[in-house]
Formats: sequence, C-alpha cells, structure tokens
Amino acid sequence: MDLALDRLLAAANQVILGKQPQIRLAVCCLLARGHLLIEDIPGVGKTTLSHTLARLFGLEYQRIQFTSDILPADIVGSSVFDAHQQLFSFHPGPIFKQMILADEINRATPKAQSALLEAMEERQVTVEGRTYPLPQPFFVIATQNPAHQIGTFPLPESQVDRFLMRIELGYPSRQAERELLSGQPRHVLIDELPVALLPAQLADLQQAADQVYVSSALLDYLQAILAFSRQSTDFASGLSPRAGLGLLAAAKAWALIDKRQAVLPEDMQAVLPAVAGHRLNVGANDSAAIVAPILKHVPVL
Amino acid sequence: MPFLPSTRLMLFMLGSIGLITLPHAWHIPPLLFGFFTLLLLWRLLSVWQPRYLPNRFGVFLLMLLGIGLLYSQQHSVFGRDAGTSLFVVALGLKLLEIHGRRDVYVIVYLAFIVAVTQFLYEESILMALYILLVCGVLLATLITQNSQAPQTLAALKTSAAIILQSLPLALVLFVLFPRLEAPHWSWLDNDTHAKSGLSNTLEPGSIAELSLSPELVFRVKFAGDLPPPAQRYWRGPVYATTDGVSWRAPPVLGRENNPDQPAFTGVTYDYTLMMEPQKQNWVFALEMPTQFGAGLRRNGVYQLITNKNPGDRAEYQLSSSPVYNTGGISKTERRENLQLPGKPSEKIVELVKQLQGRQAGPELFIGNLLQHFRQENFHYTLSPEAMPDKPIETFLFERRAGFCSHYATAFVYLLRVAEIPARVVGGYQGGQINDVGGFLEIRQADAHAWAEAWLEGRGWVRFDPTAAIAPERIERGVNVDLQIASGAVNFSPIQLDAKTLSWLQRGRQLWQSVDYNWQRWIINYDTVNQRAFLQSLGIDNFVKLGYWLLISVAGVGGVLAWRLLRPNLRRQDPALMLYRQFCAKLSKAGIKVDVGDGPKTVAERAKGLRPDLAEAIERITAIYIRLRYQSDTEASDLQVLKKLVASFRV
Repeated sequence: MDLALDRLLAAANQVILGKQPQIRLAVCCLLARGHLLIEDIPGVGKTTLSHTLARLFGLEYQRIQFTSDILPADIVGSSVFDAHQQLFSFHPGPIFKQMILADEINRATPKAQSALLEAMEERQVTVEGRTYPLPQPFFVIATQNPAHQIGTFPLPESQVDRFLMRIELGYPSRQAERELLSGQPRHVLIDELPVALLPAQLADLQQAADQVYVSSALLDYLQAILAFSRQSTDFASGLSPRAGLGLLAAAKAWALIDKRQAVLPEDMQAVLPAVAGHRLNVGANDSAAIVAPILKHVPVL
Repeated sequence: MPFLPSTRLMLFMLGSIGLITLPHAWHIPPLLFGFFTLLLLWRLLSVWQPRYLPNRFGVFLLMLLGIGLLYSQQHSVFGRDAGTSLFVVALGLKLLEIHGRRDVYVIVYLAFIVAVTQFLYEESILMALYILLVCGVLLATLITQNSQAPQTLAALKTSAAIILQSLPLALVLFVLFPRLEAPHWSWLDNDTHAKSGLSNTLEPGSIAELSLSPELVFRVKFAGDLPPPAQRYWRGPVYATTDGVSWRAPPVLGRENNPDQPAFTGVTYDYTLMMEPQKQNWVFALEMPTQFGAGLRRNGVYQLITNKNPGDRAEYQLSSSPVYNTGGISKTERRENLQLPGKPSEKIVELVKQLQGRQAGPELFIGNLLQHFRQENFHYTLSPEAMPDKPIETFLFERRAGFCSHYATAFVYLLRVAEIPARVVGGYQGGQINDVGGFLEIRQADAHAWAEAWLEGRGWVRFDPTAAIAPERIERGVNVDLQIASGAVNFSPIQLDAKTLSWLQRGRQLWQSVDYNWQRWIINYDTVNQRAFLQSLGIDNFVKLGYWLLISVAGVGGVLAWRLLRPNLRRQDPALMLYRQFCAKLSKAGIKVDVGDGPKTVAERAKGLRPDLAEAIERITAIYIRLRYQSDTEASDLQVLKKLVASFRV
C-alpha cells in the first residue's frame, strides 16, 4: 500500500513537472479527508493537477466551471417534472461525484459559492426538504484566481476556513517548463494514466492516517502554535479549534506519507503553511511568509 | 452593578481583622476597643442581614461618635496609643462602607498597618508568630477576592507560599536596611513597665516578696567556665544608711573618686549579660566587675549603672573577678558605714561584748557572730513574721527566724556597734542553668541580701550570714518551681514527681533558650549592632550599603522570579532535558539550534556541518524521537540516551 502511494506520487510528478511539494500536500489533504483550495493565476496547472489526482485515485471526476451567472441548482441539481409519472423527480447536479473540481470558485456569486461550501461541510445536499447524501469519498478541489483580478467575489474567512489546505502552484522552473514545452500534451498523459489506488485502498490509508500516534509532547507543540497565533500581534485573529484539528489531521497524513507511525514536529511544520496560511491572512498569497513567525518563535523543545 | 463581596470573602476578612485587633484589647482604652468590637459585630451581622447596614448618614454619625470617643480617651492622634486607637477605630468604621473592590483593598491594607502597630507594644517571638499567622489569613482574603475558584484551603496554601517566598527578601531587608532606633521615638514610649525588683530601700522582709516571683531579671552567658554557685553573687544596690527599721542606698554614693582602685587577682570570668526590662538603671554584675563596656559606669560602691533606658532589654559584655581587694577607706566612707540610728540598746551592747566585739580583732568577732547564728537555734524562712518596731532586736532575741535581709541587716548592725565599717549589699545570688541555651537565668526569686565589712588590708569583704544558717540557700538556690508546686513556702518542700518536674523544667529551658536567641539576634539587632555587623562585611558608608541592598534585593528577586517563571523545569520530560544538553553541545560547536527547530531539522543541519559526528547525531536523534514522539518507547531508551549525550563530544 505504501508502494502504491509512492507510485501515485511518482506518476503525478511525471504529469505535473517540478511541483513535488504541492502534489504531496494535495495527496496529504486527501488522506486527511480535507478539501483543497488552489490559488493562482490561470494556466499554471490547477486543473491538470486535480484531473491527475482524480485519475490516479480512480475517483469519479467532475469539473464545475464557476461563472458569475451560475446558480445553486446548476451545482446541486434540481427537481424536474416527469410527465410520464406525473411526479417531480430529483436530477442530481454535477456535485454528486467523488471528486469535484470547482474551477474559479471566486468568479461565482456568493449564493452559488455557499451552495458548494455547504455541501462540502455537510457531505450531503438538501433540495426541497429532501436530503441526498454525497458519494464517499468526497473531495473538492477548488481553484481561485488571485483576488486582485477583475470579476472576482473573494471567499470570506468563514468559507475559506472550510478548506483544510490552500496551496499555490506558481510558475514552473525553467527546466520544468522546458520539459513541459517539449513533451506530450498533458491531457494525453492524463488519459494514459493508470489508476494507482483503489477506492478501498484510499479508505484504508485514510484510516491509517487517523491512527498515526500523537505524543503529548507533540500536542504541547500544537497547542503552543495555537496559543502563539492567538496572542501574537502579527495576526488579526488566531487559529480556530477547527484549524487545530485540521493541523493535526494533516500532520498525521504527512507522517503517513513519510511512512512513519508517529507525528514529528517537522510534520506539523511541513503542513503549517498550507493549513494555517489562508486562515491567518485571507488576502495574502505567500503562506510561507505568513506562518514564518510561528515557525521561528514557537519552541519545539 | 453594585459590587457584592461574597459571604465567604466577608467572613474571611472579618475573621482576620478580628484576630489582628484582638491583642490590642490590652493596649487601647476599653471604650474604644468596645466601639470597634461593636462595629465589627454589626458588620458581621450585616453579612446575613444587609438591611441592617447603616446608610451614609448613619456612617457619618458613627464617625462623629468615633471622633468624640477618640478625643475623650486620647486627647490626641499622636503617640503610640492614640495613633493605634485611631487606626483601629478607622478600620472599624471603614468596615461599614464596602461599595467596591477598592474598599476591600483599603480595609485589608489598613488591617496590615494595624497588625504592624502591635509590634510597638510587644516584640516577643510569640507575638511575631501570631502576627505572621494572622497576616497569612489576611493575604488569603486578598487571594479569595482575586481568584476565580476560591477554595479556603487553597487560598491559605497560596498565602503560605507567598509568605515563604517573601521570607528571603524580608531577611535581606532586615539585615541590610538601616535600622530605625525605636528608643529615639520617645514620644511613642508612654508605657511605664511596672516591674517588681529591688528598690532603693531595703526593709527586712521586703525581699521575701520577691522570692516567690519566677520573673526573669537577667540572663548570663559565660564565655568559658561558670563560677561555682557559692561565688555567684550578682551585685546590686548597697544599703548603708539605716533608721533602725529600713535601710537606704544613699544618693551620695554616686561619687566615683575612690581612694584606691580595686586590685584583682585570680580567675576572670567573661560573660554576656542580658537585662530584662527594669525600673532602675542597675546592672547586676558578678562580684567584682573588672571590665565593662561603654554605656556603663561603676559607682563608688562598685555597682554598675547603665545610661540606657532600663525599660528596654539590653545586653552587656562584662568581665568579673571573684578575688579582689578594694584597698583603703576614706574618712567619710568610714563614717557613713558606721552610722547608727541613736544608741544601741543594752541587750545589743551586751551581745556584742559577749561575742568579744571590741576586744578581739574584727575578723574574730565576725567569726564569733557567725558561730552565734549557727549555734543559737537561728532559722532561715521565706515567710518571716512581721517585725514592725525594733526589728533587729526582735529578730535577734525573740524570733530567731528570718529571711536573708534579716540576717544581713542584723549582722551589719552588730558590726557597726562593734565599730567595724559594714553595709548591706542587695542583689541576686545563684541562678539556674539553662541546659539548652547554656546560659544562667536569674529570677526575682534569686534576690538576696548580704553584708560587706571593711577590714584593714583586705578592703571590703563579703560576708553572707545567710550562708551560715542555710548553706543550701547559697549552694542550691531557691527553687521556685518546687515552692510553687508544693504550695507551701519553706525549705523542706514536698517532692513533686521528679519526672514531671524535669520535663516541665526542660520545656521551660528550651523556651527560654529560644526567647534568649530571639532577643539576642532579632530584637537586639539595633543601629549599633547593625553598624558593627555591616562593617565586618566591609560596608562602611551609605553608598556601599545602597549597592549591597540593590544587589541582594535584585539577587533574591531574580532567584524568586526564575523559580516562579520556570515552574515546570523539574517536572519536564527527562528526555527533553537530555536533548537540551545535546543541543547545548551542538551550539558550542557552532551548530545553531533555533527554538523553532524540530529534532530532525537539527540533526540534518548538524550532520551537514559535522559529517564526522553523523552516526552519534543520528542515534541520539532517533532515540530522542522515540522517547518523545513515538509510542514504541523501550525501557532502556532513557539510559541509552543519557549515556550517548554524556559521551557526545564535539
């Protein structure tokens, strides 16, 4: 199973060039049962990444392109009158898939955004009084354009908080870009990708991540991080208990990817920018810079 | 919203205030203390029945009443008694208006001041302990007021911890902070210590009253050996003038120009003498004092006089030599010491003649006289019958039973009839050894009177007729415990259970020893002693003292702060402490370890900089991670880590 995970990462790195840390974080997010927010300018490979992950995990994949005129019903589905049976029947929307790519989520109006975000949190959809569960596993990768771009409705703090991680892809390095330019088109590569992990294996991995050992010393460190974020004047507001839980889950998954049975402070530090960056400062892009004071001042020893 | 102190807080506060003011019941006028008690009880009642609390106008009227009472009792607010009364009354009045937290603070701080005023009256170790205890309760009041979940026991514990933490600071300030000299505030000292003791006049039988008093007069600590009991005569006033009934110490004896300085031979005893508060400025030195410190003088009759306030305890360094020769006698002195109230009666002249008064030499006559006391059925008693007129004749020819003063006065009288210069000396004889403290305790019960006769070539020589009658009085001393225990005062006491007695005695000796050391090291630490002590440390001016104070207070404060701010140092994971040592070693080798670095980060960096140590670093890191972060720790890991870290060399 560990090998399967290695294979998966290796294959993903073949498709998305020079983005190993981001890919690893994305896989980690999935193992921690969290949703992922990718923020970057268009065209750096956000869609490719999510598509690749969906293929490799063998998940049903659906892309929803958010536009300014998209309606909640376009996402969750709606009841349509069936003339045959003289009944309204529910037509599930595109959200009823295991992996959703919510493209350019901040182009949609808040109403449509909240429809998706509610589904993410509840893992079910309620339409006209009836509740429809979403498939398992359910994983949302949302991409968003930087807030300064024209025609965006930036996600409020409360909704950004629903994403376990936010990552930035950034421009590829010179060498990676050269390979990209000289290689095959990405969509061809994706179509050729084999399924690296069966859904049952994914569930096992998620469970294994839950069982990674956490010592009280590590919890001390986690609490010190939370306390520091709440007391420091560097941040407008500190990390919420939900952020603390997310940090722990992500660190456990990170340790699992590293094939360890216990979480180390380094695991916590590795996932901290992705998990805490967007919660501490919604506007800024550079997560590493945001959490730098935490890494610098919170004592590990 | 009005501030409502909790019932518990109020009870706590009122209780501690009651305890703090309680000892003042003996010092401040009963009317004022009654007023305060009334206010305290009123406030206590109002804890359950708030409607009984007086309104603003009521408090104002009470204040007027308080002022009136204060004025009628003290006529002033200055001085020790008036000032203390003012504080106590103010405290009582303030109790009636608690509208906010601020008022609680004011009351508690005022109560602390009232606690301090107690020391203006009494400085004993018991009082100090009591005040410390009550201050602990007051502190607990403050803690109760400020803590979220106030548990009574927890609050008391915290206050005890605070007091313990403050002790080092108190000690530093006690030793270094310039002492304020209490006797200089003479306006505070409007208390007259009515102490019993020897007085300027001696009437036969007057010392007998003292003989039942176990009250301590002074304590003596010898530098070397103790003199034998028969030499323990502590010299007091000299009674030379008599009217036939009483004997007086004439004021003229204050003159100091003696014809001869006394000559001393034989052993010298060095000792520290600590006087309890007295009425007279006499210091009872062992006969004869040879050396005495400043502040003392020896008058014409070899009695030591202090120029300190006799109402305070005081300590003196003295030397005495029991073998002495006072030399010659002046004409005036001879005349004074032959003085008789009129002609002696026939009977007395007859007795002197019979004992070969004027014919034989003085020494022979004295021997005959003592022989007479011994053989003619004379008795020694502590409860002599009153002999109002002609006491000497009544004693010599009728009663033949008396106390030391009877013997001494009769002896001197007869010597004077025989034209031998003689006088009565008052003082103390004997003393009880305190085994615990190793000092001698002299009590009022040890009061004694003996005689002195001037002999050609020998000077003034001590004769103790009592010793001739009852040598055990001199050898053993009066045992007050035995006398009181037996209920009867005589010299063949009923034996009290020896075990109980020794147990009681032991306890009292222990206590006396504690008290002695308290007095010696705490109370007697005055300006002079402090200056001497500080000079021995090399502190001879205020600038140096300032530096010392600053450094020691900062030092004590620093240690306390360090302890308080790192409270869990000892409870910390031993693995972490070992790893810290490891990190310290790395730092010494120039490998930087930041606070935010995890063990793996540190290990990677260290291995990069010192590939030669890679193996050791890896092992230490692996075991540390296992101990601290993993569940599969092995029992031996800690030992292994300890060894690895200890043997790690950079």
